[in-house]
Amino acid sequence: MNTDIIVGLGSCGIASGAQEVYDYFEKNLDTSIALKKTSCIGICFQEPIVEVVAGGVKTVFGKVDVAFAEKILDGVKSGKLPEANRIFEDEGTNSFVGPQVKIALKNCGKIDPENIEDYIATGGYEGIRKALTMTGDQVIDLLKESGLKGRGGAGFLTGQKWAFLKGAKGDKKYLVCNADEGDPGAFMDRAILEGDPHSVVEGMLIGAWATGADEGYIYCRAEYPLALKRLKIAIAEAEKRNLLGKNILGSGKNFVLHVKEGAGAFVCGEETALIASIEGKRGMPHLRPPFPAESGVNSKPTNINNVETYANVPRILVSGAASFNKYSYGQSFGTKVFALAGKVKRVGLVEVPMGLTIREIVEKIGGGSSTGLPLKAVQMGGPAGGCIPESLFDTPIDYASIGATGAIMGSGGMIVMDSSSCMVDVAKYFLQFTQAESCGKCTFCRIGTKRMMEILERITQGQGTMEDLALLEELADVVGKSSLCGLGQLAPNPVKTTLRYFKDEYIAHIKDKKCPAGVCKSLITIDIEKDKCKGCTACSKACPVQAITGSVKKPHVIDPAKCVRCKMCIEKCKFGAIRVI
Amino acid sequence: MNNVNLKINGIDVTVPEGTTILDAARRLGFDIPTLCNAQGLQPFTSCFVCAVKVEGGKGNFVPSCATKVREGMVVTVEGGEVDKARKMCINLLVSDHCGDCMPPCQSECPANIPIKDFMALVAEGRELEAADKIREKTPFAGCLGRICPRPCESQCRRTRVEEPMSICYMKRYIADTEKKEKGGPHFPSPAPDTGKKVAIIGAGPAGMAAAYYLALAGHKVTVFESHAKSGGMLRYGIPYYRLPDSVLMDEFGAIEKLGVEVKYNTAIGKDIKAKELEKDFDALLIATGAQGSSSMRIEGEKNPGIYAGIEVLGKVAEGEKVDLGTKTFIVGGGNTAIDAARTAVRLGSKAIILYRRTRSEMPASDFEIDEALAEGVEIQYLTAPLAAEKTDDCLALKCIRMQLGEPDASGRRSPVPVEGSEFTEKCTSIIAAIGQRVISDYLADLGIELTKKGTVAADARTLMTSRPGIFAAGDCQTGADIAVRAAAAGRKAAYSINQYLSGEEVTGEPVLFNSSMGPLNEVPEELFEGKEKAERITMPVIDMDKRRTSFQEIETGFTPEKARKEAMRCLKCGCEKEKDCKLREYATRYGADANLFKGERRGYDRDDSHDDIRIETGKCISCGSCVRACAEIKGLTILSFDGRGFKTRMHAPFGHSLVDTKCDGCGECVRVCPTGAIMGKK
Repeated sequence: MNTDIIVGLGSCGIASGAQEVYDYFEKNLDTSIALKKTSCIGICFQEPIVEVVAGGVKTVFGKVDVAFAEKILDGVKSGKLPEANRIFEDEGTNSFVGPQVKIALKNCGKIDPENIEDYIATGGYEGIRKALTMTGDQVIDLLKESGLKGRGGAGFLTGQKWAFLKGAKGDKKYLVCNADEGDPGAFMDRAILEGDPHSVVEGMLIGAWATGADEGYIYCRAEYPLALKRLKIAIAEAEKRNLLGKNILGSGKNFVLHVKEGAGAFVCGEETALIASIEGKRGMPHLRPPFPAESGVNSKPTNINNVETYANVPRILVSGAASFNKYSYGQSFGTKVFALAGKVKRVGLVEVPMGLTIREIVEKIGGGSSTGLPLKAVQMGGPAGGCIPESLFDTPIDYASIGATGAIMGSGGMIVMDSSSCMVDVAKYFLQFTQAESCGKCTFCRIGTKRMMEILERITQGQGTMEDLALLEELADVVGKSSLCGLGQLAPNPVKTTLRYFKDEYIAHIKDKKCPAGVCKSLITIDIEKDKCKGCTACSKACPVQAITGSVKKPHVIDPAKCVRCKMCIEKCKFGAIRVI
Repeated sequence: MNNVNLKINGIDVTVPEGTTILDAARRLGFDIPTLCNAQGLQPFTSCFVCAVKVEGGKGNFVPSCATKVREGMVVTVEGGEVDKARKMCINLLVSDHCGDCMPPCQSECPANIPIKDFMALVAEGRELEAADKIREKTPFAGCLGRICPRPCESQCRRTRVEEPMSICYMKRYIADTEKKEKGGPHFPSPAPDTGKKVAIIGAGPAGMAAAYYLALAGHKVTVFESHAKSGGMLRYGIPYYRLPDSVLMDEFGAIEKLGVEVKYNTAIGKDIKAKELEKDFDALLIATGAQGSSSMRIEGEKNPGIYAGIEVLGKVAEGEKVDLGTKTFIVGGGNTAIDAARTAVRLGSKAIILYRRTRSEMPASDFEIDEALAEGVEIQYLTAPLAAEKTDDCLALKCIRMQLGEPDASGRRSPVPVEGSEFTEKCTSIIAAIGQRVISDYLADLGIELTKKGTVAADARTLMTSRPGIFAAGDCQTGADIAVRAAAAGRKAAYSINQYLSGEEVTGEPVLFNSSMGPLNEVPEELFEGKEKAERITMPVIDMDKRRTSFQEIETGFTPEKARKEAMRCLKCGCEKEKDCKLREYATRYGADANLFKGERRGYDRDDSHDDIRIETGKCISCGSCVRACAEIKGLTILSFDGRGFKTRMHAPFGHSLVDTKCDGCGECVRVCPTGAIMGKK
């Protein structure tokens, strides 16, 4: 019986040491064992992950280093695999996987993304074959029926968008895939591109058939080298098989697909800026209308969808609208991929059905607080999104429900925060990002976000006034209403939502000159409690600026003038004697 | 083409399909501001000043320059939240704008005299036109040009090269030249008689400045003056050796020739009740100055031989004989104390100033202190009087030494007595020059509001008191202050009174928005690169012997050669586009505040490499019009966007200077620039 050893070689796995594990197997395997690679399966907290399929039985190991790989290899040879590190026998992993439904991520972590055969073996390119038996309108109707909405964040009905392109005047039309994923902490699109690039190629191909587009671009950020490599392999392989190019599968349909690498401007995720960038211009948005469906790439009708949106399309074609929209909540259908990160026990890439609540994601899938401190909020939608407080964790995953909290569904960033996060600092962090990434075109985004930033800086330094706060609120409102594109319009969201749910924290910074979470360095003091200190000297050794003094077995003291509030002493103290006041 | 019907601010309008909201609104006469929408260029939607509200949708504002009308659209283009957003937009733009609108000398001048302009005229030998230029803001070039403490010079940028321009004396030179060539001030002709009558109480700089501008506007002006002559504190508070009688007669007297009637020796409250003026006149201006003297609050203050500073100066001005004896103590540190001391010297007395702080805290002008010292005046610092006693033949003044303690509310270190340091010295006279205060009890019957200090309460902008039609200007409204501020207030009051008499809303003289690169010591060094040093002109003076013994004017004035050379030192600060800058226009219209936001702002930066075009990136508001003009009209990429976020800039790409590009100086970028960021050099 054949034995396969499969190593997860997504960026996350490689970062955890999967490449070394793969190299070890490659060097030490004999020909009876096949070494394969796959990509991220989403269980990032267990990386590197190695799967052994022997005698039809699949065993998955997590946290595999070279030493453990040796044990696996011994086990394969002896027929007795190690008992340790079997992740699917671990309750945590099962809780993590249990509530998930994989549609967009169906193949991720399961197939070799660099091998088209693997994709085809799972039913790949059946979607386009089916589409070719249908008219464009029929495909569009099917998509409309499925209820698939744009997964880039805006949530516009995909079928409707395709219908606009199909109806647009002109014989030259473009299809674009927005793979310029730039939100801090978000890696949904990267995982799909690295793990299942053909799903995106096929999704676009179906779109091209439905809308009449004959040329396409995948606009992917250059900071995703592995995704780009695998995309290019996928396109080349698809071209070889006449799945791209001229007269596709004898249908008479032509579709040429290019990869365009983005040079690092976040704003190029905005569709009009993205189009400008494809055209070789500075990535700066313009006013809509005209919408891309009317005038896009090279002023021709263009449709833009996000990676996850396209990845869903072949599955809907193959399995039907009902297989997708059976997961629903309100007007949201199917599943949504989230990059779950922050203060939860289990972080990773998750795909959940619409209607699952934030609490279920955070507590069941994520396993709750990783620090033991109470959870405080989740930031959804990246820097354009907002903070949802713990009291609203029962909000279901649904465009309208999430929107009602002031946050946005966004592209799928989900950062969990516990009580050690200062919400003013969080707002400042996200605003700093958008402010720096503004293209500089319109006044409110270019200067308004900067002024908001400066006010937040003053507040976190204890120099803010209540007048500053009023000005911040006014700016947040007007920047949101008067910026040219989504970047500026949504930039104030982290400020707005933290002001909405955590205004008392702002006021504490301003009036009491205190940071309740103990984060803002200008407003905290690190103090050793005399009674609890045993004089073990661990803190004074850890202090990078020699701010802690004291003799052995005598209580130590911190000089607040020298202390840089790095909190390293707190981490080192075994007696809980050091606190932030 | 089809027509589209829409509603703009509640007004129905029909325009052809494809029209922008901006153009549709303009048809109705709405003046929507826009900075990035230049003629001949495609809409760009960067400035967002033109943003308007369209009903429905997400409630966002949309740029009207690029948003096409749709059937049934309901748009708000001004008022309410649209104006509020617009104001914020302009506030943001001016918060990142590095440039001076007005030259700093002019903005520092309380009368906003166009100094740069008159300097340029003098440099070209056009002194008579320079005199007219000054008169746009004040009729007292000759007076102020002799005695002004020159706040303008304190901000003169030339100081950063070597020394400030001689601005104050240049006014005098201009007035003297006009006197020499034309025999005196040459006023424009007044407007036709309006039939309106204005009463002014006080013929000082505030009252007579107002009289001048009101007479020019065609109103019949009557001034009531308690003294025998006009000039107010300029005459009765400043000795003739600084400001001669003849100059006062020329400038104040000329205003009477315009048809202004001055009723001398007529004191309100004594000779006429203030209330009576109300009946006979259409408007009333109170400009009575600060005639009262503050007391030293010491024992024996009422003894003979003890005077108030302005009392002595007034008597000397009126030609009365004053005998101070051989030794006079002058108490105080202001200009009046200095003037009193120098007058005492001229009256043959030894003059010793007692001041309770040190020289650096002294409010008197530095150069006046120097002149006093040169004339033999002594100053005892850190000394305060305690009591004055009459002895057989003279006075005995008991004093105490002081030391400087903690800073007080004014920021100056307050003097603290040194215990046990008391001493007594004999003298023949004591002059208290502590300060002046406003006397306002005779106005009681007018029923106008007074402040706690006893000054007349008036709106800071319009100078109208609590009673419509009654205005106040000068020291009586501000408390004792400098003459140029009083003269400026007179002009401003005249503007408001003219509005009042014309039945308009009284809004006061328009105040234009003014951007500033900052105080003198903070402006960037780059501004002065390549400026060659040129010595400041000095004022010739008469011999010291004559100075100490007579009231002859000390300073003799500039020669034309030297004055014109001095005028050429002017750096011509301020923006060349001061008068037609769109940013300034809108900032004024929407009441923008350049200092609403504290924080980072762009610095001064200049590309002066090209023969025809100068770029000053500091003034740029990143609207992109220049980049687009070059691209859309010329098909070139000579200018481009650079950077991201707050630091986005417009300039020649890849760090090139303009001269290194293919720029042929066509000037399209200059044409479309809404500010003074890109200017033609011709």
